[in-house]
Amino acid sequence: MRKIVFVIFASLLLCACSTIDCPLLNTVYTVYNIYNSNGKADTLKDTLTIFSRRVNGTDSVFINQDVNIKTFSLPISYSAPADTLYFNIKDTLKKNYIDTVVVMKENTPHFESVDCNPSYFHKITGVKWTKNRIDSITIKNSTVNYDATKEHFHIYFKSGN
Amino acid sequence: MMRQKNISIYISRAVISIILVITCAQVSAQSYKKIKKVQEKDSTALFRGFSVSADLVGPLMLKLSDYGQYEAALKINLKDKYFPTIEIGYGKADHQEATGINYKTSAPYFRVGCDFNILKNKHDTNVLYAGFRYAYTSYKDDINHPDFKDPVWGYNVRYEVTGNSCYYHWLEAVIGVDAKIIGPLHLGWSVRYKYRLASDEGAIDKSWYVPGFGISNSSRLGGTFNVIIDI
Repeated sequence: MRKIVFVIFASLLLCACSTIDCPLLNTVYTVYNIYNSNGKADTLKDTLTIFSRRVNGTDSVFINQDVNIKTFSLPISYSAPADTLYFNIKDTLKKNYIDTVVVMKENTPHFESVDCNPSYFHKITGVKWTKNRIDSITIKNSTVNYDATKEHFHIYFKSGN
Repeated sequence: MMRQKNISIYISRAVISIILVITCAQVSAQSYKKIKKVQEKDSTALFRGFSVSADLVGPLMLKLSDYGQYEAALKINLKDKYFPTIEIGYGKADHQEATGINYKTSAPYFRVGCDFNILKNKHDTNVLYAGFRYAYTSYKDDINHPDFKDPVWGYNVRYEVTGNSCYYHWLEAVIGVDAKIIGPLHLGWSVRYKYRLASDEGAIDKSWYVPGFGISNSSRLGGTFNVIIDI
């Protein structure tokens, strides 16, 4: 009888321990993959810089003069209804183009545990863009959460120099 | 030659007779045991009364932490062997974590099941039992966090979830003790293994505390300490 009681209390003690599975970063990202007009994955040979404007007027740079890129990830705001992104593309002749991309979304608070920082998941509802060097952008997956393996946008650039 | 044949026939008849005698003796011994068993049939009445109990662990948890429950039970005694049980409770949590998140919920819950006396002497004043429960609760939770700045854009972010509707079905395996103290007063404890059957945790898809179940997880251990009164 004493052994049974000891085993039961030891089990209770062990099961009182709990693990916390908080994600390392509680921000989520949108994934853009570059495609050509034939629908095949492509590489952008031009220099790409992507930034946005913070509420205090300063710039927040996400991609800084990257070349030969096939894919990139951009952060998404927690609770704004739309994010405005500026794509600065410099071609091989050093000519600068700036396109504006606006991503419209719905935001849902996400809860993992009281031990984890608050975060948001999103549903992309639409995208608008200017057409200086960007040909088109299509939404492939509208759900933005901790799954970083899914591509959210296919982006098609116009042929440059 | 003739004499040898007679001897072997005699031996065969003797062996067969002995075997038959042994067989008959066993059959009559078993019949005697069966008759004796029939005579020892339990004459205890089916309904032996019922008891009500209150758990002390839940209120203690509420006193020492920020979640817990109030719980009472009604247990019917059938032949000192079977104890159908209904448990009703009210669980609540109002938890503030270092991350700044506040989690709040409160709701009733119920469990139904049966315990079985596993002692050899079923009519002892003390009972060691094992049993099961089916449990259910429907609750709403509120989760909020003080306003903070978006780390990239600098916007003010409000994080608030109010009235998130959820439900939980689960099973429990129970083992416990009921010991008579004096008169109708008993004290007892139980240990329970809880297993979630099905749940819907609303739009946010997660709960921290589930009334009656405890801290949300797919399975966990719990316990009660009961004051029991025989009626």
